[in-house]
Amino acid sequence: MNQAAPLRTPIIVTRELGTGYPGYAVGRDISLGIAPGEVLCLLGPNGCGKTTLFKTMLGLLPAQAGEVLIDGQPIISLARADIARRVAYVPQAHAAQFPYRVIDMVVMGRTAHLGLFAAPSPADRSKAHEALGALGIDELSEVEYTRISGGQRQLALIARALAQDAPAIVMDEPTASLDFGNQVTVLSEIKRLKGLGLAIVLSTHDPDHAFSVADTVALMHNGRLMSQGPPAAVLTPQALQTVYGVNVSLVDLDGGRTLCAPDYETGRLR
Amino acid sequence: MSIYRQLKVCFLALAWLSGSSALARELVDSGGRPINVPEQITKVFAAGPPASILLYVLAPEKMTGWPNPLRPAEAPYVAEPFRDLPALGRLTGRGGTANLEVVLRVKPDLILDFGSVRDTYISLANAVQSQTGIPYALIDGRFAATPASLRLLGKILAVEERAETLASYVEKTFNEIDSVIASILESDRPRVYLARGPDGLETGVKGSINTEIIERAGGRNVADAPGQRGIVRASIEQVIVANPDTIITWDPIFYENVYKDPLWSGIEAVERRRVYLSPVAPFGWIDRPPSINRVIGLKWLAGLFYPDKLGGDLNAMTREFYKLFYHVDLSDAELETLIEWSKGQAPSNAGAR
Amino acid sequence: MVEGTSTLERRRTLSEHPTAILFGLTGLLVVLIAVAASTGAYPISFGEMLAAIWRWLTGQDPIGTTDTVLFEIRLPRVFAGVLAGAALAAAGAAYQGLFRNPLVSPDILGVSSGAGLGAVIGIFFSLPIWAIQFSAFAMGLATVGVVYLIASMVRGREPILVLVLAGVVVGSLTGAAISLLKILADPYDQLPAIVFWLLGSLSSIRNADVINAAPLVLIALIPLILLRWRINVLSLGDEEAKALGVDSSKLRLVVIFAATLMTASVVAISGVIGWVGLVIPHLARMLVGPNFERLLPASMLMGGGYLLLVDTVARSLTVTEIPLGILTAIIGAPFFLWLLARGRDGWS
Repeated sequence: MNQAAPLRTPIIVTRELGTGYPGYAVGRDISLGIAPGEVLCLLGPNGCGKTTLFKTMLGLLPAQAGEVLIDGQPIISLARADIARRVAYVPQAHAAQFPYRVIDMVVMGRTAHLGLFAAPSPADRSKAHEALGALGIDELSEVEYTRISGGQRQLALIARALAQDAPAIVMDEPTASLDFGNQVTVLSEIKRLKGLGLAIVLSTHDPDHAFSVADTVALMHNGRLMSQGPPAAVLTPQALQTVYGVNVSLVDLDGGRTLCAPDYETGRLR
Repeated sequence: MSIYRQLKVCFLALAWLSGSSALARELVDSGGRPINVPEQITKVFAAGPPASILLYVLAPEKMTGWPNPLRPAEAPYVAEPFRDLPALGRLTGRGGTANLEVVLRVKPDLILDFGSVRDTYISLANAVQSQTGIPYALIDGRFAATPASLRLLGKILAVEERAETLASYVEKTFNEIDSVIASILESDRPRVYLARGPDGLETGVKGSINTEIIERAGGRNVADAPGQRGIVRASIEQVIVANPDTIITWDPIFYENVYKDPLWSGIEAVERRRVYLSPVAPFGWIDRPPSINRVIGLKWLAGLFYPDKLGGDLNAMTREFYKLFYHVDLSDAELETLIEWSKGQAPSNAGAR
Repeated sequence: MVEGTSTLERRRTLSEHPTAILFGLTGLLVVLIAVAASTGAYPISFGEMLAAIWRWLTGQDPIGTTDTVLFEIRLPRVFAGVLAGAALAAAGAAYQGLFRNPLVSPDILGVSSGAGLGAVIGIFFSLPIWAIQFSAFAMGLATVGVVYLIASMVRGREPILVLVLAGVVVGSLTGAAISLLKILADPYDQLPAIVFWLLGSLSSIRNADVINAAPLVLIALIPLILLRWRINVLSLGDEEAKALGVDSSKLRLVVIFAATLMTASVVAISGVIGWVGLVIPHLARMLVGPNFERLLPASMLMGGGYLLLVDTVARSLTVTEIPLGILTAIIGAPFFLWLLARGRDGWS
């Protein structure tokens, strides 16, 4: 594994972070760090608090305990645009209310770089086209966002995060609504971005995806981090059984990849 | 169900027994409805403002209250004991606010409504009568029917003599005016605009109850929109096109502004200083509400339209009407306040007010 | 099927030429203004109108009633119609983005019902017209202020939802207060005035009204123009806008203030006029797309033209005036249903 990672200064750090809402805790004692060129993959069952953690990491929800540091500064001391220039967010693909064209949607990623009263310049537009090209959907740029498929929307939202030009990207289940081919597109894009030195945090439900792109896996269970470390160390059959209640066997492929095969005969244990 | 019906019958019987110690009389109201009223009627509940005025002029001692509280400016023009009667709400018309239980609490011998006798009001009368067990008399409120309506209510209330006095006064007024304007060509009659509201741009369309005394007094209402009735909004452009030679209003804000406003300055009535502010106390002279109060307004308008033939001493005429109908002797000061601008003086002293 | 496809195609082609559309709408508005200015109860021919305008341009003294009618009555009314329509449509466009809901109208936070209450209070106390207008304006602003304060005191997870609910609650309270005053008002005198005010009308518009309202509308327009791009981002929702670097709560406050100021200024002189702020931005979005940079001018041009057209009909269709609120509802409601049916067609 990439042993150089700990030497770099992390972009996003959470210290004993508590997430949730006043009087209603979702997650607690979460300490994480993501450095440039590193991919952190968050795994955990539905409702374990991944999205809430992401929103707290982005400063969209206030921390209930502990703190979030961006580039070493407490997130609460940063203005929204300062955060947005450092961390981009890819929400789960959603249905938009208004039929913006895809290019308009993507160019909104440039907002944090614009003056308060400015609108995007041609340079901003070409950055947006570049990002769409990287995900192979530039031909959709003039189509209305409401008319493209869920998978294409997810790609467009990733393109918007790329256009945001932030050194870190937080992606909430970026592969969830994608077909098989587009999953590969997204995962290889993540690998490419990592190669460019970006710090990436993503959540996924598929251990295979964690094995294929993650440097670090954080396994969440009941609002806490159960374990954290390289995929092979964290995603053991025992850990997966504890978290998901499913018997799995791990298969090592040639070339160092690992696949996760659930046991459909016994099914769910709980 | 049947128990309730029996109870109801018992109650009605009791009410009849207790209330009808005096002999009942059978009469027919203006809606053609037979009503049974006691020989001696001492308390009457007026269903709305027009009815309350009809009752006040005819038999104020039988009143149980007013539909709305009198305003401070109105009270001096209502005779002393009656100006302090309670406000009991209105039973009919726009925004009925009276509670049937309030009606029952004051135990009237009769409920009186004065106005339209269309089916809506007939069915309302029947409903209230069967709910309360109190006879409900519907009296025709059309202006032309005023003498007949006075006489009918006089008969119901057994005050025929007073009713006859008032009815013949109204008849005499009608006849006087009718005989004069009969000889005047339609085209020679004044073109009148009724300016309502502070901007003067609400008006009553020709043929509606709100403006009928304009025609009755021999004027022509310029707001003539066939097929329309009631109160409408006009634009100043339409007023300019209609170019009335006489403007009647009761809104002091409009009256104070009309001579200063350049938009109105070209209109004939303004140029000729023929804008008249109608008195409004205790009741309106033109409308507000449409009841007996319009008789004095009719005399006033006829005098304005035809000063040579129908003009008289407004002061004396007003005193006489207020004495005869409203039971008040106007002091000089009260009279002055009342008809201050009704002769159409320029509001030169407006600022001093 | 084929028909549906062709409308979709046409729609796409239209929104690809936004500049041409904006020029077209401007031209249409100019034509409407000319037609409206030469229409009315007082006969003024097109030639007389041009001659009067020439006299005015060259500084000659106005001649007679024609000039009075044109410059003191008709043109103020025409400009008031354009101003009110444009302001209501602009406020509607801003609110639909802010609330992420194409079914939102400018009075969602209670500005119209507040202004209505202000005017009704003014009528109830028989105040002069300028005071009625001022009362309407001030109560419109104050009502939205109260709604905003209530919403910011409630710490919820959904600021927009809390805002809308606070608007509904305060709106129905002001509605109750209006009803109470209607009951207490003089039924022969004040009640008709109240009813007419609540139905909206431009029949008593003066130059002074336009001169008072126009600067306020322009002041309110400035932040909407300057922040046009950020208003787009805001329409993605609170969290996404924040993640994209927009301080959404501050921006929301600015947009609410601008839209409220605009609406209150015109409602104070025109009375309550519904539907324009709801239907017009919808239609404009169909023509030029949802991008606020183009949606704002398109909405304003169409809103101005639409209300001018409706008001011209209101004052020339019958001898008396038809209240604007009645006409905008009669035209707006079926049109809106048609839009809804068509919109679902397009999204399926």
